[in-house]
Amino acid sequence: MRQIMQQVQNLIMKISKEDIMIKVISYCLLSLMVFIPQGWAEDMVPTASKIIEEVDNVINAPKDQDLMIKLILIDKNGKENVREMNMLQKGSDKRMVKFLSPASYKGIAFLSLPDDVSYLYLPAFKKVRRIASHVKNTKFAGTDFTYEDMESKRFSEKYMPELLRMEKKEIEVEMQDGDNESNKKREIEFYIIKLIPQEGVRSDYSKLIMWVRADNFYPTRIEHYDKGEKLFKIVNRDKIEKCGEYWISRESEMEDLKAKHKTVMIIEDMKFDSNLPDSKFTERYLSR
Amino acid sequence: MRKQTFLLALTVLALLLSSNSSYSNEGILGGYLTTDNRLCLTGDNYFSWHEYRLALKIEVSSEDKGSFYSEIWLRSLGFPTVQNAADLVSLEKVSPINLDFREAYFDLYGFILDNLDLRIGRQRIAWGAADKLNPTDNLNPDDLEDIWGFGRHLASDGLKASYYLKDYTFHFIYIPIFTPTVFPGGTWASALSAPMELPVGLTLGDITDTIIMPENNLEESSIAGVKISKNLFGYDFSLSYVYGRDDLPLAKEVTFTPTGTPGEVDIASELIYPRMQIAGIDVAGAIANIGVWTEVAVFFPEKIMMTMDLSALGMGTQESIALDDKPYTKYVIGVDYTFKSGIYVNCQYLHGFIHEREEANLEDYFMFGIEKKFFNDKLKIIPISGGIEVKDFDDLENNYAYILSTEITYYPMDNADVTLGARWIDGKDTTYFGRVEDNDELYFKVKYNF
Repeated sequence: MRQIMQQVQNLIMKISKEDIMIKVISYCLLSLMVFIPQGWAEDMVPTASKIIEEVDNVINAPKDQDLMIKLILIDKNGKENVREMNMLQKGSDKRMVKFLSPASYKGIAFLSLPDDVSYLYLPAFKKVRRIASHVKNTKFAGTDFTYEDMESKRFSEKYMPELLRMEKKEIEVEMQDGDNESNKKREIEFYIIKLIPQEGVRSDYSKLIMWVRADNFYPTRIEHYDKGEKLFKIVNRDKIEKCGEYWISRESEMEDLKAKHKTVMIIEDMKFDSNLPDSKFTERYLSR
Repeated sequence: MRKQTFLLALTVLALLLSSNSSYSNEGILGGYLTTDNRLCLTGDNYFSWHEYRLALKIEVSSEDKGSFYSEIWLRSLGFPTVQNAADLVSLEKVSPINLDFREAYFDLYGFILDNLDLRIGRQRIAWGAADKLNPTDNLNPDDLEDIWGFGRHLASDGLKASYYLKDYTFHFIYIPIFTPTVFPGGTWASALSAPMELPVGLTLGDITDTIIMPENNLEESSIAGVKISKNLFGYDFSLSYVYGRDDLPLAKEVTFTPTGTPGEVDIASELIYPRMQIAGIDVAGAIANIGVWTEVAVFFPEKIMMTMDLSALGMGTQESIALDDKPYTKYVIGVDYTFKSGIYVNCQYLHGFIHEREEANLEDYFMFGIEKKFFNDKLKIIPISGGIEVKDFDDLENNYAYILSTEITYYPMDNADVTLGARWIDGKDTTYFGRVEDNDELYFKVKYNF
């Protein structure tokens, strides 16, 4: 009797385990059917907000940046003028720019801080002056960048994004291990995003159209439209490389279509995560 | 001359030393060459200004520890002053050269305390939020050598300590030796002082004066200042206080002496620099996208009595108040704006010019300027700028003057600019600018930075 009872108990347990297993597998399969394809779809085409957030994360990934930059100003006749500057950035909202050359610009320094606060130091006057917002649409030291362009600000905080389309383009990509010259050009997918200034944000642009690489979320082209919805400036970013953990464009170009003038920005030297102190991003340091 | 030779030798030595490291971050030699020629548009079209200035700047920086800066001007200023054959052996008279030791100081960052910076040496301490016309900028003496160099000051030998505490910045300044203002030459000098009124029946012979400088000691010669700055509600605020001196002289004693000509008198005066305390406030920011600033300075002068000695004329001695100790206020209100088209407009209303003292003597000035850059900043045009002076609103017809100016600047290459401009002055001779209405000028300037 005792043996019979044991056999019945084992049978019940066996049935129960099989039943539970079946239920669990069924639930998992159902979950896969219901949720995972949607997740995959999300991974393949993220929302515009997600894309722009990723763009911000990629371009502001280093804790801090110390860049030596050469600016080449090219007029419509191809005549060039060169400027050199040192740009320090901490996080995504503090930026300091100091001109090193030419002599007429040397010592001019610009500080961009959170909450739309920016300062300019003009050594000839020995004064630090806060930049009023009407100045932000003017050219920065004769370049095609305006003070607004030079501010350090996350796109996601300033603009409302909208995904317009996706397109594939063959571009020159960074060399990876095992690559050779013949496969330097690759077909890459791009997200085309429209950015409109958020309510309350003062901007000289009515909208931006941004090309974002789908493989690394680096923005390679930004079209700037004026208040009349007319395209007037284009930024193209080239020589996008992975330096250590971070993606960076070693060369970018801002073209002013109205003025037929462009500024090429070349990063000649860079240091990341060198623990720049907050004191470097102050009025005190600006005038040094 | 020996002093000038020494300074020149020092300059050359500094240049030689710095040239070894001129391309490193540690020592940088720079500067500019500027030429400035002005032609008077009235009368015989005489040249009213001739200046060729070589400014040499040396900077040595040790990143976060400290830095050194100096600026020296070597100038060919003015015109040959030879009057006879003997003068031809004097290079100073044939080709006047001027050496000006503008600034030389060193900075110590984080001196003793992390938040304390020290600047020691000859330095320009520019205070105030307004554009060039700053009533609160009273530590350095005014440099009026070139009357059109609004805002230009001499540097002072002294010490500046800057302490940074959270959002506050505290500046403490001590200048041991008082330096007076440099005056402009020619008709501009007399324009700065009100015309002298003589007793009825007297005519003026010679005028001589003696300047009594403050005694060279701690109490009399020292100038000190303190300023607190903070950003509040998006505006930059500063409160300042200066214990200084009026850097323009004031007559304390005037002696009348009859000459051989009946009714004619010579005047000999003694001039002093009155003690002055100045409390200031300045604010700068923006309202609805327009840049705004204001600057207010309340002057607390010491009372100065003037003695007029007419005893040689048998009229005894008279005493009157040359400067009352009642406080008076100078202020500036200004706005600027850049239009979408790139046109920049700047306007300021100023109550009380540099040389004016006491409430009753403060005049009103409306300054303005419009500029626009063309061809990717290769060309800058100032179609109109200038100012209107109003001495008395109740009798405007007889109490106004104006200056109008136009200017074009071309930047042929980086570091170089060429400027051509003209200015016209007109007004009643009751006003400061009206007294120099014959100084209409055409000017041509070239500058090269290196």
